Amino acid sequence: MIRFFCLTFFAIGCLPVFGESASVIPSFGGSSIRVMQFRKASSSRIRYPDALPSLLELMNEQSRASFDPDPMMIDTFLDERLFENPILYLNCDELPDFDFSEEENNALRRYLELGGFLYLDAGIKASFLGADLGHSYAAWEERIEVRQWFEVLFPERIFTPLPRNHEIFRTFFRGLPDNDYLKLEEEQKRLPDTVLTFVEQEKWPQATYSFVGLKINDRLVCVASPICAMGWGRDEFGAWIPPISFRIRESAEDFDETLKLASFSGETYEVTREDGLKDVIYSMKGNRPLWVREPTGRWRIFKYYSGEEISDYAHSFYARLGMNVFLYALLN
Amino acid sequence: MKFFALFAFVLASLQTYWALASPPPFNPSDLNTDANAFPSTGTDSRTTMEMTMEQASRMVSSTTEKERVSAAKLLGKYAVRASSLLLIEALDDPSPLVRRAAIVSLVEHYNAGQLIYEPALVERIFAKIADPDVEIRREVTALIPRLVPGLLQSGMEKFEINGRTVFRSRPGSLRPDLFELAQRGFMDPDSIVRQNLLRHHFSLRLQIHPQTMVLLLGDKDPRVLLVALDQVRMYASSPGVLDQIMKIAKHRDSGVRSKVCQTARNLARSFPGFREVLRSMLDDSNPGISSQCAVELARLGERLTDADIEKISRYLLACNGLDGIAEKVYRGLSSLGQDAIEVYRSLTAHSSGRMRSVAWESYLMQTNGWEKPSFWIPALEDRDVKVRESVLNTIRGRTGALEEKELNALISSQYPEVRALAAESLLKADENLVEEAYINLLIDEDGLVRATTLRALAARRISGWLKVHARSLLDSNYAIQRAALDGLLGDPKVGVPALLDFVRAYPAARISSLARQELVRLGYRP
Repeated sequence: MIRFFCLTFFAIGCLPVFGESASVIPSFGGSSIRVMQFRKASSSRIRYPDALPSLLELMNEQSRASFDPDPMMIDTFLDERLFENPILYLNCDELPDFDFSEEENNALRRYLELGGFLYLDAGIKASFLGADLGHSYAAWEERIEVRQWFEVLFPERIFTPLPRNHEIFRTFFRGLPDNDYLKLEEEQKRLPDTVLTFVEQEKWPQATYSFVGLKINDRLVCVASPICAMGWGRDEFGAWIPPISFRIRESAEDFDETLKLASFSGETYEVTREDGLKDVIYSMKGNRPLWVREPTGRWRIFKYYSGEEISDYAHSFYARLGMNVFLYALLN
Repeated sequence: MKFFALFAFVLASLQTYWALASPPPFNPSDLNTDANAFPSTGTDSRTTMEMTMEQASRMVSSTTEKERVSAAKLLGKYAVRASSLLLIEALDDPSPLVRRAAIVSLVEHYNAGQLIYEPALVERIFAKIADPDVEIRREVTALIPRLVPGLLQSGMEKFEINGRTVFRSRPGSLRPDLFELAQRGFMDPDSIVRQNLLRHHFSLRLQIHPQTMVLLLGDKDPRVLLVALDQVRMYASSPGVLDQIMKIAKHRDSGVRSKVCQTARNLARSFPGFREVLRSMLDDSNPGISSQCAVELARLGERLTDADIEKISRYLLACNGLDGIAEKVYRGLSSLGQDAIEVYRSLTAHSSGRMRSVAWESYLMQTNGWEKPSFWIPALEDRDVKVRESVLNTIRGRTGALEEKELNALISSQYPEVRALAAESLLKADENLVEEAYINLLIDEDGLVRATTLRALAARRISGWLKVHARSLLDSNYAIQRAALDGLLGDPKVGVPALLDFVRAYPAARISSLARQELVRLGYRP
């Protein structure tokens, strides 16, 4: 636990010099902060292997925090190194199952109670996504497997949605990436008009996202989000990998009537919204979801946008969000 | 006969092609009406596919812009040929909102597997790379790889000249007017369009004018530069290209400079002039990039100065870990030959465990360090288990006989895997030394250390080993029982008789059943 405090102190010490144009080479020559990544030994699905190292590297570039870009991989919560490092990252899509022994659950519970922080990436996953791992969707409740696991870990606690004004969304970066951050000329369109409007007003307002969290002793010890790691990977030249596309809700003059009657053969799924109400998603097998009926009775169509500008924007957002989460974890 | 059959086939194909050159008005019979492919509705209140399409086809030619937008959006959800034809028509709509909706829906069709191969149709889509609306130009240029199969189809074309039908071959290249549009597209005011065209220009079978390539290599947008550097090999010997790359070797963006380094390295093998680019970057302000250039030059066979080697060493020591450029530089160190040894040695004190681990490995391999315990014993005190394991894997089976001081250093280690190595070392150590040291290892808290010690004692036939083994058959740790059993079985003269005595004295002991089986296999009657 002493090490936790040292790291927190260290991180707080470096905050005043944070800035978007901070020096490229971190000035900390001593030991770096090691982020742990949990992956079961039996896991055969490795999702976005470049993601976390890239994000840690990016944090070193854009802040004066000093992270070891090589995450410490652990495959059991009984690993003695668990208690030496304050941040644990887990991509739920990589877990073959959520079965842990009682000893492992006890160790994790103790870790979280003693000051550790657990980031459950892909800890939110809308049911209609099924086994399609290349999608995210801003549902507002943890996936069922996570809920069942945490009912064992902390029977008296539940995940609750993080409010849009939560500090986690503005620990280091505030707001959505602008042209300057995206290295675009001032007059250049960063996104198609309809996409930008939707992103700013509905998808990621004030650079927030659908996060749920769990608190112990009034401290946020665990957050779950839709998959964010897909937005963190960069190649050695700083170009983002892999490409990301956007799913946008669009309306039109008569969609409330047209979509209600338009030909459809597939399944419908209910997804929880931020306000607790349910959207009904219309999806056909083998295709991306078609449209949505919102609880207000409004019908909107899903349109899919891809391209360099979309991908760059999404990556920038996810990376800034990821940095905010890890720096929040260090400071709290 | 064959000729006529071929001619008839070409004629039939041409009729189809002719018909497609101008999309027909919507006809519900164009729809695939296979009930399984398009079941009518999810609920009773929904319309059929045909009705939905018919309504959309009416709306897409409505006089109201909002209705046309709505129809263009909806048509994207029905990836069938008739729907694609309506959307292609809508690409010529006077309203940019309709055209945007149409192109986004067409992309949806392509994503859903509804591909369009007819050249006349694909050319109409591709022609939108000159659309006044930037969003449409972006979408179309991003779609190029999907358009290429239709766009570059070679075949026959039928013309009528003065009432006379003329056939001529159609080359598998862009139509001249589209070629012109594409060439202009490289200088599009929008950098995403430039980037997309540049990335896909080879698949369009286009060659960029060298002067245009030089201009693109001076683009304001770093992403365009990265793509241009990726594509530059074809133009490497064109006038102005080398000079322009020399200029961007000083670019403010470190990603671009790193890419220049990689490109220059690749080109330098065929075009020696590009070595100069690497040399000019040895003084790069970013130590990662200057180090990367240095190791690339070493890979090309150039000898580095001491100052350059020192710079590499300093850079790697200052890194947070082994990742990205640091990893590339590290992997390139082997090109330095003997000069790399000192760099490896300095990195064994790095703050990153992964860096220490690979540095120890390389250092021991380059120096035959496993022969010198003074080299590797300090590594076994490393706090990171991965480092210790890496060193143990490197030296295991290669070390010689240890001196007393060295053996004691291993025995007193706090790490069990290191003490296990001490036990393994008993196999080669001086016999007197083994007799002095083994007791400490036999009472070790770790079972693996004790089992390994037993095996070493049996192999060396150290005085008293028989007694130790016989007693160990009753140990609570199964691995130790097994090691004792193996040791006794390996000595028919005294070991086997002792084992026979044991199984007779302790028939119910846990190891006795296995011992009896092993003895029977060797021809003894237990």
